[in-house]
Amino acid sequence: MGEDGENTKINHSFLRDYVTEADVISTVEFNQTGDLLATGDKGGRVVIFQRETESKGESEELGESGEYNVYSTFQSHEPDFDYLKSLEIEEKINKIRWLPQQNAAHFLLSTNDKTIKLWKVSERDKRPEGYNLKDEEGRIKDISTVTSLRVPVLKPTDLMVEVRPRRIFANGHTYHVNSISVNSDGETYLSADDLRVNMWHLDITDRSFNIVDIKPANMEDLTEVITAAEFHPQHCHLFVYSSSKGTLRLCDMRDSALCDKHSKIFEEPEDPGNRSFFSEIISSVSDVKFSHSGRYLLTRDYLTVKVWDLNMEKGPVETYQVHEYLRSKLCSLYENDCIFDKFECVWNSTDSVIMTGAYNSFFRMFDRETGRGVTLEAWRESSKPRAVLRTRRIYTGGRRRRGDVGVDSLDFTKKILHMAWHPAENIIAIAATNNLYIFQDRVNAENM
Amino acid sequence: MEYKVEAHRIMSISLGKIYNSRVQRGGIKLHKNLLVSLVLRSARQVYLSDYYSGACLNAAQSQREGNEWEEKFPPSTTECDRVQSPEEPQQDALPEKEREYRENDDAVKSDQVDCTSTLQQEQNQNSSLDSVTYVSSETRPETIIVPKESPSDSTEEAERDSTPEANGESHQPPEKHVCSNRKRSADETESGDSSKKRVKVGSSNAKEDEEAEEMDTSNVSNLITIFGSGFSGLLSKDGAKPESEAEDSGQICCDQMLKNLNPWSTAIVAF
Repeated sequence: MGEDGENTKINHSFLRDYVTEADVISTVEFNQTGDLLATGDKGGRVVIFQRETESKGESEELGESGEYNVYSTFQSHEPDFDYLKSLEIEEKINKIRWLPQQNAAHFLLSTNDKTIKLWKVSERDKRPEGYNLKDEEGRIKDISTVTSLRVPVLKPTDLMVEVRPRRIFANGHTYHVNSISVNSDGETYLSADDLRVNMWHLDITDRSFNIVDIKPANMEDLTEVITAAEFHPQHCHLFVYSSSKGTLRLCDMRDSALCDKHSKIFEEPEDPGNRSFFSEIISSVSDVKFSHSGRYLLTRDYLTVKVWDLNMEKGPVETYQVHEYLRSKLCSLYENDCIFDKFECVWNSTDSVIMTGAYNSFFRMFDRETGRGVTLEAWRESSKPRAVLRTRRIYTGGRRRRGDVGVDSLDFTKKILHMAWHPAENIIAIAATNNLYIFQDRVNAENM
Repeated sequence: MEYKVEAHRIMSISLGKIYNSRVQRGGIKLHKNLLVSLVLRSARQVYLSDYYSGACLNAAQSQREGNEWEEKFPPSTTECDRVQSPEEPQQDALPEKEREYRENDDAVKSDQVDCTSTLQQEQNQNSSLDSVTYVSSETRPETIIVPKESPSDSTEEAERDSTPEANGESHQPPEKHVCSNRKRSADETESGDSSKKRVKVGSSNAKEDEEAEEMDTSNVSNLITIFGSGFSGLLSKDGAKPESEAEDSGQICCDQMLKNLNPWSTAIVAF
């Protein structure tokens, strides 16, 4: 598929190779309409981009999409300290989730390792003028100078975006929060850490309900942890959580208060031929996403993405190899810690295409209908604005074509872990270290 | 032999990672450390499986399903049973084992003994709440001498445990390497039980290795303690042992390092 490339950078560093750790993007999320795109970084900041509306200018062609520009930036989390355990709490934003919009303001949840915060993002483009007791600068007027009364009126002013914290959900988690998911009921959300899943009400901050607890009585018996969790997109009583053993558990909250007993467990038997020291690590699921239809689950483990049908527990219905050529390199990847990288995976709006990230600034898209995958690159040098992204290939043997990249020349520091797909259109946001790439699919008669 | 080197390397790397996780910002990451500990155990298992490579590797692979003992070690089960009785007076058996141990050929037999003994120890462990069970059989024998259990108890346990399958099932999942550790357990049992110096078998090679690893162990001991309530197989509740008493045969140089993971204090940082 031909794609246009649009390149939006939020990197302020001068030297190309020097990346401030705090600028590394750690999460990307579109809101439900796709007009807003939020990114969180390791420094605890959230940057919200807004899509320019298409109605501007008569010269815009039909189908021309707006660009995303910075809408607001705010500091969501600060570094914190747990005095009891003498542990630092990182301010890195692990996840951002938007709430469905109910009024003019937008709400989003952002979380670091321990604390979830609800932010209200509102615009202000009017301000009251004409106070009786205060002058325009806010200074109190001398009452003797007031000769008549007037009613303050709202006058238009420059657009200001205000972001305020509305709720702070603290002290709910002993372990590191890895996921949050807003329920379809619009009132509750879940947060998952390594061993527990809590359910919160958006209006109540001093209480949360523990719905999954896999902490063993004796910590030495620990064999698996929760790696991701998500509510079903339509059924407010269903949620799924994935484990480090590669299993998925679907839980029904109507069943019991504590959903330790799953309703369904999805796991694929291990292939004994592929066993190695690192089999457990590479089978750990790093991300799980419901399809928009709610019928399928998408999971990512280290080497593959898998599509599961909720009706079939014994194995995935589709498996796609993301970078199978790394299987022989697991030992080196273990040494340099790359084997622990947690890649995300996303569905497109129609659930026909799935996408996930890889190394060397590559990301992969798989067309579910044809079963074929393409490799694309998110790298500033090869992506000029409005350039068409060309597909890349990894050379793993056979005839080598020009432009093929050898496995040994892959840059493992350039990893694409976080990404998002617009809920309705073919627009994707890819986070590559400290850069954000936004690619749009331009359906153009010439390119078809 | 190659895979032994590889396994040893992986073990060192894993321990390094666990150590580094202490100093990482944001606290200890449970998930990553769990995975590292699994790799560590697999590697150790392979490392120690050289005398029993075929069966034990298979056994390791099937462990994940939470098997019974006898499933894991079909060939060894009978042997375990066989040597059950001689094992009862464990202290007496030690010198015997020690001698056996020195001869590689007999290692398997002594290991079998340790298989069951470790099982018992596990059971003992399970009963005591604050005991940190070291799933790996290498530490279990040490627990024989641990203050909590008296040798007589162990003996009783030994008798009860005539069928390995009955035991220690309460924590199946962590037992990844039970069988393969038999050789080490033989070592451990000797030194553990009597706190007497183990007879040095090794060549000068072993000695050098030991020294190198002894230097690592203090760090490792600290880190594992901080690492905390950790995952089965990595903690023992044992008291300190004099480092000098642990001597390995030249072939299992890493044993020294890993064995000395045991003398950790019982302080378990609640994680």
